[in-house]
Amino acid sequence: MGSAVEQAVQLIASGDRELLNILSVTARMSLSSSLIALLLGVPLGLLLGACRFPGRGLLLVLNRTLMGVPPVVCGLIFYILFSGVGPLRHLHLLFTVEIMILAQVVLITPLLTSHMETYAAQIAGPVRETAKGLGLSRWKTFLLLLNESRYPIFSGYLLGFSRAIAEVGAVSMVGGAIAWKTNVMTTAIMQYTNRGNFSLGIALGLILLVLSLGMNLALSLLQRKVAS
Amino acid sequence: MNLYAFAKSFGGQAAVTVPDLTLEAGTLYAVIGANGSGKSTFSRVIAGVLSPDGRRPVTEAGLRVGYLPQKSYGYRLSVLQNLLLASRDRDQAARLLEAVQLSHLAGKPAHRLSGGETARMALARLFMGQYDLVILDEPTASMDMESTMLTEQLTRQYVAETGCALLLVTHSLQQARRLADKALYFHKGQLLEQGPAKTVLYEPQHPETRQFLSFYGS
Ligand SMILES: Nc1ncnc2c1ncn2[C@@H]1O[C@H](COP(=O)(O)OP(=O)(O)OP(=O)(O)O)[C@@H](O)[C@H]1O
Ligand SMILES: [Mg+2]
Repeated sequence: MGSAVEQAVQLIASGDRELLNILSVTARMSLSSSLIALLLGVPLGLLLGACRFPGRGLLLVLNRTLMGVPPVVCGLIFYILFSGVGPLRHLHLLFTVEIMILAQVVLITPLLTSHMETYAAQIAGPVRETAKGLGLSRWKTFLLLLNESRYPIFSGYLLGFSRAIAEVGAVSMVGGAIAWKTNVMTTAIMQYTNRGNFSLGIALGLILLVLSLGMNLALSLLQRKVAS
Repeated sequence: MNLYAFAKSFGGQAAVTVPDLTLEAGTLYAVIGANGSGKSTFSRVIAGVLSPDGRRPVTEAGLRVGYLPQKSYGYRLSVLQNLLLASRDRDQAARLLEAVQLSHLAGKPAHRLSGGETARMALARLFMGQYDLVILDEPTASMDMESTMLTEQLTRQYVAETGCALLLVTHSLQQARRLADKALYFHKGQLLEQGPAKTVLYEPQHPETRQFLSFYGS
């Protein structure tokens, strides 16, 4: 363990090019997918939690079902859709970062939607009743609801990001863990471990933990500022 | 202005039944009745927060209704920003904050106010707007004596200045007597008695209303 930490520090200090590439692919994938999922999940969750409309119950069931889909199954479906025999093969997206992001969005958005829906259902009553009493438009009411949800939006983003950075099943399937292209930290750890290179795997694992810790610390500081 | 008859039930249980009503502009109506008699449900249906059974509209199209819920709510914005939601008139906001004695808290996040402060903020916020009909659901329930007096004065002033009709739901017979031109008495979800304050609040026709008043030792 001690030598693994040493090796991790050495790897980072030496600016190992492959490691940097893995880090940047990981960052690109996790940040974009959690951000896209946030942009989709927040309005959808708020609508589901705060409004009553036909089809709402069905959407909730669908969302809960999607939440339970194992990442590898999601990866498999994307693989089939985009592979040489699939209907979407012309897009040439298999084994690219883009399709990894897409698969992650499909995995994370339902989580964020459910997270926001639970919160919105709790606060929607007074927020809407008060807005209605003031004669505010639906749009303005929605913006108020969004503003009341600052805290869960932050925690939801953290949730999504953590899931994205830790995911391995779907991204290895659709990304293929190609060195210098689609290899992310989790898939690299698997590769190194399979090759018997445990210390490099542990080194990457430690970096992953530290990154995650740093991200969480930074966001929770920001969150405290915004929420007050 | 006319309000059309409606009923509202929850899970098959009738909460309130109301006949056609005609309200006069520039008039303050006290809405009184025991806990659970349907005052808030009546208010919420007219305000459009709840749809009545059958979903037929209860107000004329285009009628501007302002409504203060029984539980006032401060949005996660400053007190001043809360007021500016209803209208962008900053001078008016300053005047109203002064009137409810919240000028010194204008920059404070509204969700951090005390109960009575929130109630005063919510009243000032509502009065930023212009309405044909205003409904206040127990605006002074969480206020001390001084704030209650301020609120009563402000309410009377608002009716006089804007010429709106105002429904004031209150538990306080004293308050109803101080302010109301007319009164509505609810009993177990029924509008049992309505008329001039002089009659309903002093010499009601209905035995149930008389009994209600007798609780106040008058
Ligand atoms: N959302 C709801 N769901 C189910 N029942 C309700 C709901 N709102 C009100 N009720 C019922 O309707 C009846 C009237 O309630 P309402 O809140 O209108 O009374 P109120 O006169 O405003 O009472 P209070 O003086 O305590 O505020 C009560 O029996 C209450 O339990
Ligand atoms: Mg009530």
